[in-house]
Amino acid sequence: MKTLMPYPTVVGDIDVTIEKVALDGRDLPYSMISRNERVVALHEVERAEWEEARIALRVSLPEREIEAGPWTDVVCVAILTEGATNARLARPLRKRTDGAWVGSVPVSRTLHRTRASLTVSVVGTVGGVAGRVIGAADAAWVIDLTARAPERKKELNIVEIDFAASDEEWLIKLKESPWLVDTSGEMPTVYLNTGFEGLAPLLNGARSEMEKSARGLVASQIAGDAWTAMFHAAVSDLEIGDDGTPQVPSGWRESVLRQMLPDVIPGASLADALLEVHERRTDGQGWSALQTYIHHAAAKRARIPKYVRTAVRALDRAEDSER
Amino acid sequence: MSELDSFGAWLERQLRRSRVSQAELAAALNMTRAGVSAWVNNRAMPRADKLRSIEEFFGLLPGAATSLQDAEKRAVQRIWYHRRAHPDGGREFGNAAAFAFEADLATLAREATQNSLDEGLDPTRPVRVRYTLHELSGDQLRTFKDHLQWDDLEPHLRAAARHRQKVARVLAEGLRELDETDSLLLLRIDDYNAAGLTGPEYDDGRFAAVVRRQLDSRKAEGRPAGGSFGLGKATLWANSRLGLVLMNSTLSEPYEGHHERRMIGRLDLPWRRVDGEPFAGPAWLGEPDETPGFRRVARSWWADEETARALHLERDSQEPGTSFLIVGAHDMSNEGEPGRPDLLAMHTKLVVALADNFWAAMTAGENRPPLLQASVAALRNGEVVIPEQRVEPSEYFPAHVRALKAYLDGVTVDRLTAVDQVALARVPLLVPPLRGTGDKAVEHRAVLLVTPADHGDRDPGKIVYMRGSRMTVMKRRPREVPLGTDPFQAILLAGYATGEEGPEVAAAEAFLRASEPPEHDRWDRTEELAVVYARGALTRPRTFRADVDAALREIVGRREVQAKGGPSVLRELLQLDTAVGARRGEGYPTVRHIEGAIDDTGAWRVHIELRIPRRDDPWLLAPVAWFHGQEGGKATITWAELAAVENCEIDGENVRVSPGVGSASFAGITEVSSHLVPAGWARLAVDVRRARGART
Repeated sequence: MKTLMPYPTVVGDIDVTIEKVALDGRDLPYSMISRNERVVALHEVERAEWEEARIALRVSLPEREIEAGPWTDVVCVAILTEGATNARLARPLRKRTDGAWVGSVPVSRTLHRTRASLTVSVVGTVGGVAGRVIGAADAAWVIDLTARAPERKKELNIVEIDFAASDEEWLIKLKESPWLVDTSGEMPTVYLNTGFEGLAPLLNGARSEMEKSARGLVASQIAGDAWTAMFHAAVSDLEIGDDGTPQVPSGWRESVLRQMLPDVIPGASLADALLEVHERRTDGQGWSALQTYIHHAAAKRARIPKYVRTAVRALDRAEDSER
Repeated sequence: MSELDSFGAWLERQLRRSRVSQAELAAALNMTRAGVSAWVNNRAMPRADKLRSIEEFFGLLPGAATSLQDAEKRAVQRIWYHRRAHPDGGREFGNAAAFAFEADLATLAREATQNSLDEGLDPTRPVRVRYTLHELSGDQLRTFKDHLQWDDLEPHLRAAARHRQKVARVLAEGLRELDETDSLLLLRIDDYNAAGLTGPEYDDGRFAAVVRRQLDSRKAEGRPAGGSFGLGKATLWANSRLGLVLMNSTLSEPYEGHHERRMIGRLDLPWRRVDGEPFAGPAWLGEPDETPGFRRVARSWWADEETARALHLERDSQEPGTSFLIVGAHDMSNEGEPGRPDLLAMHTKLVVALADNFWAAMTAGENRPPLLQASVAALRNGEVVIPEQRVEPSEYFPAHVRALKAYLDGVTVDRLTAVDQVALARVPLLVPPLRGTGDKAVEHRAVLLVTPADHGDRDPGKIVYMRGSRMTVMKRRPREVPLGTDPFQAILLAGYATGEEGPEVAAAEAFLRASEPPEHDRWDRTEELAVVYARGALTRPRTFRADVDAALREIVGRREVQAKGGPSVLRELLQLDTAVGARRGEGYPTVRHIEGAIDDTGAWRVHIELRIPRRDDPWLLAPVAWFHGQEGGKATITWAELAAVENCEIDGENVRVSPGVGSASFAGITEVSSHLVPAGWARLAVDVRRARGART
């Protein structure tokens, strides 16, 4: 996809710097702000009960380009959004004498749930029309209300718990299972049953070659289950656009689809592949045939072939040495 | 009045200069020799009428004898004195000290400025240095050559240029260019608020160290000198194609009763034979010395303003310091067009080199002036080409300068909470005692400054180690900084660089200097440490660096967050953000580029280029367009018209791309009635989809 604007826009870099963050008026350590990953972590154990965070930011615009360009009444606006709560807050920034645009954005605990997104837009008058967006910062900052460390989420949750002794009714019911995958939450979660004899020690502390190969087999089996479950979850909850085609979802679902769709529907763009999967799923035509490919894609991510090969070789060697 | 300012000294100088004995003067003035001797020894002063007679006798301006000036009616005679060849027949084909350096303006700027900084006079004010590039040609060049007594000089230059050695080749090239282009580049380096070339003509002192000697570093004891006028001054000559440097110095302590315009020129040539007579390396431009033992050697002279101006060496003010004029300046790595020195490139190189090496010395606090101010200008025949530009360190090293400034102003913090803050930590350096003294080790508390790096900062994530006059010894990447740590800048100030005083500061400075190799580029085990300091000294630099790294980690490191749980073997298989996916090969057509505008009817007219994976079958593609909303919303648009442009044909609503091609393009006009909003209000997005029913 490529896009065109009907009026000239700013090409130069729009840099956003988070200057500092305060929780109810007290500054957070700067180590809770990651400029590499563009994430602010707001959760401090010692200060779990806060009401408002205030993010001070500074934006530098390509000033020479803006001065020479056709834009007038240029202003810079910080926008805080969160899909989950539909919150949207725009705050104008003010221009300092040194040319930087500065201001602060409040993050109210009551308006947000987990991860808000902070972007900066440049707005101006062009072609006689006021209030047009003429530029935006390349990437959004993530304001994570629940994280202690400023990181983009890259891994799913893995919970090691004794199913039988759990407080959760549904886990107790499934206490016979060595593991379970739950894709309904904010992030998918893999539950490992520590009540299942020998599973936790095997996964956490294999020593001999045989033990290691068994560990690999089990881990790849679990991962294969997880990828399959995540793929199904990702394609089963799609939003349909005006044109009747499914929209690419966001968050972990997007990552899963980007990683797996090229193996499920080879040689097609993401949009085409998603449309095809969606159609097969909704009209049932060829849906079962597709399962083979989904399984294949999940096994590849879980590196099942590698671990099976390792296990077979280990068995061979064990037999050789017994002879 | 000091000895040298006295009438006696003045009179003695006039006698020497005119090669007149006391007896001869006595006879001319109708006096006894003892009377003249009494004047010379300051035991008596002549009467007013005698003073006038003395002025007349020496051909001086009226009043010279009272103001003790040398303002003569005739100009001072200047000569080139070329050193005779060694009687043992030895020949030197270049100056060893100059050989240590390439002709490189960056090195020159570093060495010359460090010398000026080390020779700083009033510590409460900055040392000012100014670099001026000046290209001369035509009449201006001729006038300059006349004053240089070029006719006496040229035979020596031509003779020396005949050798095959490096120096001679550079010289030959310089002469050839001078002949062909009739232009000469001068580079002048002025310093103010510096000591100037003080001291006697031939004996120990700054003057002799620079003008008469090689490798005399005169390192002042106990002060943060980086080795002034040692090897470094050779860069001045190394940067002259002709091996010629002229000097004009205003002295901080008078010599022979004078402060201003002590001038001399020094030429460094290889061995040469001129008019059948062999000459060793150096030559000097100056006044013929009449002192017994130095007769006919060119010595420095006290010039008038006019001469200083003619030799392009006039100084701005009476403030002490020295001006060096590099005649025939060049830079090996940065030659412009032949005959047209690239003034802009050289100017830039000087500015950058000054910023690189001296950003710390140029940093000021609110109430503390910088140690150094530097500027660079460029002229052509007296006309300004690039106006004098002050080197602003914050333009080049914003985060570093912020860190140092915060330290000078005392506004550092213990823990960073904002992007502009500077954290300070003290790192102890235990300085071992000198060998055999039985003293105890003393603790110096070095200063570590850390601040988040700025956007576009070069080379973040390192610690700059400094001592002395905030001179950079090394830049090191600290060990074991956790991955994913945000970019930072860090400075370690040790010894005098902390700006503190005290025995432990001096001890640390001396210890660290002893731990530097001759290149002054790291702190490590050296022979000097082993010889001079007590046991344990050798490992001290290393432990100190480890302590610095630990202190840095304490500031920049995040609290270790608990592992996210779960066995690592499993976590590894569940990474969501591995950068795979759509990038690999793109086995399907994509839009490479679109161009277009809205026409009078309000429709988009666009030209679309596609990137096509080559294959033997045609691709049947459906171009789709929509208005792209801010938060990902889509409003589909239909096409009123599609037209093939290259490597394709239009098939109804689809584009059929010819087999075997790598690209295709077509044009489209959108259907205005399908626009939900006027085209001018929205962003147009275009993509290609596999056409319906075309299973591939």
